[in-house]
Amino acid sequence: MSSWLAEAAAVFAKDWRAELRTRFALNTLGLFAVATLVVVSMALGPIGGAPNGPSVLSAVLWLILLFAATAGLPRLFVAEEETHTATALRLSATPSALFGGKLAYGLTLLVALEAITTPLYLAMVQLPVASPRLLLAVLLLGAVGLAAASTLVAVMVAQARARGTLFAVLLFPVLVPLLVMAVALTRQAVAGEPANVGLTQLVLYDASVIVAGLMLFPAMWNP
Amino acid sequence: MHAVKTVLAWGLWLWIALVIAGALWWAPPLTGFVGGGESSRIVFFHVPMAWNAFVAFIIAGVASAMYLKGRAPRRDAAAKAAVELGLVFGVLATVSGSIWARIEWGAFWNWDPRQTTIVLALLFYAAYLALRAAVADHETRRRLAAGYAVLGLVVAPFLFFIAPRIAAFSLHPEPVINTEGEVKMDPAVLAVLVSGSTAFTALFFWVHSLQCRLAAVARRNGLEA
Repeated sequence: MSSWLAEAAAVFAKDWRAELRTRFALNTLGLFAVATLVVVSMALGPIGGAPNGPSVLSAVLWLILLFAATAGLPRLFVAEEETHTATALRLSATPSALFGGKLAYGLTLLVALEAITTPLYLAMVQLPVASPRLLLAVLLLGAVGLAAASTLVAVMVAQARARGTLFAVLLFPVLVPLLVMAVALTRQAVAGEPANVGLTQLVLYDASVIVAGLMLFPAMWNP
Repeated sequence: MHAVKTVLAWGLWLWIALVIAGALWWAPPLTGFVGGGESSRIVFFHVPMAWNAFVAFIIAGVASAMYLKGRAPRRDAAAKAAVELGLVFGVLATVSGSIWARIEWGAFWNWDPRQTTIVLALLFYAAYLALRAAVADHETRRRLAAGYAVLGLVVAPFLFFIAPRIAAFSLHPEPVINTEGEVKMDPAVLAVLVSGSTAFTALFFWVHSLQCRLAAVARRNGLEA
């Protein structure tokens, strides 16, 4: 038993020594925790409003979608690097076309996710939606921005270490404006209020990120 | 050239000393604040620091775009130095601001729109540095970090202008303290605030140039961070 304890203690000491030399996991995990804390408390605090109200429920819907995307979308490029197909892809595909294809894939994945999650969520929290058409528009436009930003960040993360954690750390600051706009619009859709300039701003965000993606992607993809 | 730089550096120190003296003694306390307005003197240091964090953001984005275009390592070093300084000034602005918020509004943190934008800028800087730390190869690190900084610059307008407006509209009915409201009160306050902001901006550029020179020396000696 004492040798078991000694072994466990040795592994424990080894892991901490290795970690304190680079402080990599500590930094990235800490940053992930802080970024999550900011995004969640921001969505529930200043944007959300009164607890249990439709605003908080709209914020939670977007948090669910955000975390689902964070779990799935790094695979866009990590899989290519891990299976060593990235080099073949670099040789055969035009970078901007690759960005377009990956973006379309990520977008359809997100839309499928939303098609499952949103009705379930609305049914579970018993949230009646006054203008379903606005909600659909917000879900689609939000997915476009989410997919575009994720595709660009995923290609960066695929070439770095600690991909899963780093993906969220890099993505959250970039996505907060989208999150804020989408939550506000979802609340308006639930309440049946007019969207005003909100939808235009969301379209503008999507367009900016897609254009930035098309311009930046070749430099991010090719070494 | 060296003599000119020395004179400029000493001039900057003198200027900052004058600003500090002006902020603490010359400018009158602002009316309408807790404790006879003495607490509001923090604004003379808080606003320039927040401004510097904002300047750093733009410089990092522009230098990164230039790096992606010409691939000159010094552009990347300029972006990295700007981000590091932005992080320092951003933390100082956040801490000084939240101390003031505790005195003025009764809470260290209340998700005021400006608090929201600065904390997101800090997150962005930290994420940029985390990305750099996660890539071993020099070329790849510079390329990816530059791309991320440019992406940050693209979404920043949404962060700075649209997002806080929505947040402010929905939750904070209490009046948000803004510089426009304050500077109307006294010309001396305005003078200290403006000269303080320019002094701090000059300080930013001075430290930034030192950092860039340091990075250049490190590169020449094959020591890359």
